Amino acid sequence: MKHSTMRLSIETMNLDFVKKVEALSGSSVRRCFQCGKCSAGCPMRSFMEHPPNRIVRFLQLGQYERVLAGRSIWYCASCETCTTRCPNKVDLAAIMDALRKCSWDAKGPSKESYVQLANRLFIDNIRTYGRQYEMRLAAVFNVKSGQFLKDLMLGPKLITKGKLKVFHQKNKNLAEIEQIFKRIEELRKKGEAP
Amino acid sequence: MTPAKKLLSYSYYPGCSLHASAKEYDESTRGLFKALGIGLQEVPDWLCCGATPAHNVDELLSLSLCAKNLSLAEGVEGDLAVACAACFSRLKVTQHHLADNETKRKQVEYAIDGTVNLAKPVKHLLEILAKDFGLDRLTEAVQKPLAGLKVACYYGCLLTRPPEVPQLDCVEAPTIMERVIGAVGAETVGWSHRMECCGANFTLSRPGVVLKLSGSILDSAKAAGADCLMVACPLCHGNLDIRQKEIEEATGQRFGMPVFYMTQLLALAVGVAPGKLGFDSMIVNPLPLLREKQLL
Ligand code: SF4
Ligand code: SF4
Repeated sequence: MKHSTMRLSIETMNLDFVKKVEALSGSSVRRCFQCGKCSAGCPMRSFMEHPPNRIVRFLQLGQYERVLAGRSIWYCASCETCTTRCPNKVDLAAIMDALRKCSWDAKGPSKESYVQLANRLFIDNIRTYGRQYEMRLAAVFNVKSGQFLKDLMLGPKLITKGKLKVFHQKNKNLAEIEQIFKRIEELRKKGEAP
Repeated sequence: MTPAKKLLSYSYYPGCSLHASAKEYDESTRGLFKALGIGLQEVPDWLCCGATPAHNVDELLSLSLCAKNLSLAEGVEGDLAVACAACFSRLKVTQHHLADNETKRKQVEYAIDGTVNLAKPVKHLLEILAKDFGLDRLTEAVQKPLAGLKVACYYGCLLTRPPEVPQLDCVEAPTIMERVIGAVGAETVGWSHRMECCGANFTLSRPGVVLKLSGSILDSAKAAGADCLMVACPLCHGNLDIRQKEIEEATGQRFGMPVFYMTQLLALAVGVAPGKLGFDSMIVNPLPLLREKQLL
């Protein structure tokens, strides 16, 4: 995959996809001149098959499939090092966010997108409780991802240290929080928000 | 006659972790501010800011959650004090972003059914201590100088990034943590991994990533001769403290490096009773080190 030939033609270039990523991220990919500074500082580089600068290059060439294939976008830690250092103000961290959204919308969950599963459970907690409920987050994640034994040893220790709460207090303004979620869904349905 | 000292008072957004896994950060923040005579009043019914997961999944949601918090904070007087590096970054990013994006601001205002408060200054505790309160006054307040304690100040990702937003200090070579802890007498070490990512929220989904990245951070701090790490982010704390034993098992190295929240060390120095600083809820026991340095 990494060294396979890339054919560039009208058929393989999906520029609509690139436009969507640019709109979602509010960042242009055309500014990039491939200096590689983003990748040089990326702490997750060794976990990715395509370093951040290559992702931008693929986008410039409209290589939608190549960008979404593999695990690079799911291994970005949102540390913002790339965005901070880019000499051309390419907001690569925001582009990574946009790519994750596109991939999830197009392909749904996958083994590589485990991290997004954790993210979604985190958001479910906000909708249900208004705040994070760390114990539930860890428990549900482990069940849903099939990693039943993971962190089993860590849990009891954290509970005795008072770090994980078994019971949870709910916010008083849950109805207002629910309304935020509903209104965003409504905006999207009407096509008034990306 | 000395000029009258301005009375400082802040509204306070603790964020979810400070009410749970990072309760020692909350306790020590309150203790420190009380000792320094700085007012701190919690924003009622604040909600989760969404941290990294929210913008990973849905940017509009992330902006809306933060905007809702900013509007709740309007009800409490004073600039908004934030302890968690991630909450701080998200709240600032939201203000910054909505200030120059009218379309997004309208969407967010519809979602929260109210106006967005772009004017209230959002400040990290470091900024309040270094700039508003002042390093000289901090030094004056010291009762137990942290002399001889070699601290590696760990910034992590979000205290200073993205570059245009927090404006806390220089993005590539900040010194604000060193200056603040130096003001109470601690020694700071120069080291390579001050701003390297700890693995962040991969801690839940891919702990292997955390073991590797946080392992290098601990390794670098140890090599620089640090006795302990000092952090300002509950997630970094979790990765470096809670997972330290696992990291030791995975790498075969022994670190035994206590990881303090910045306010725990500062509060200790200004005379807050050690029993109120949550040292017992840290996984890597800091008591032997503090005793050895005669700080307990
Ligand atoms: S740092 Fe910016 S210009 Fe350089 S390769 Fe990365 S995105 Fe392109
Ligand atoms: S934000 Fe993501 S892509 Fe950018 S440097 Fe950090 S981990 Fe790498």
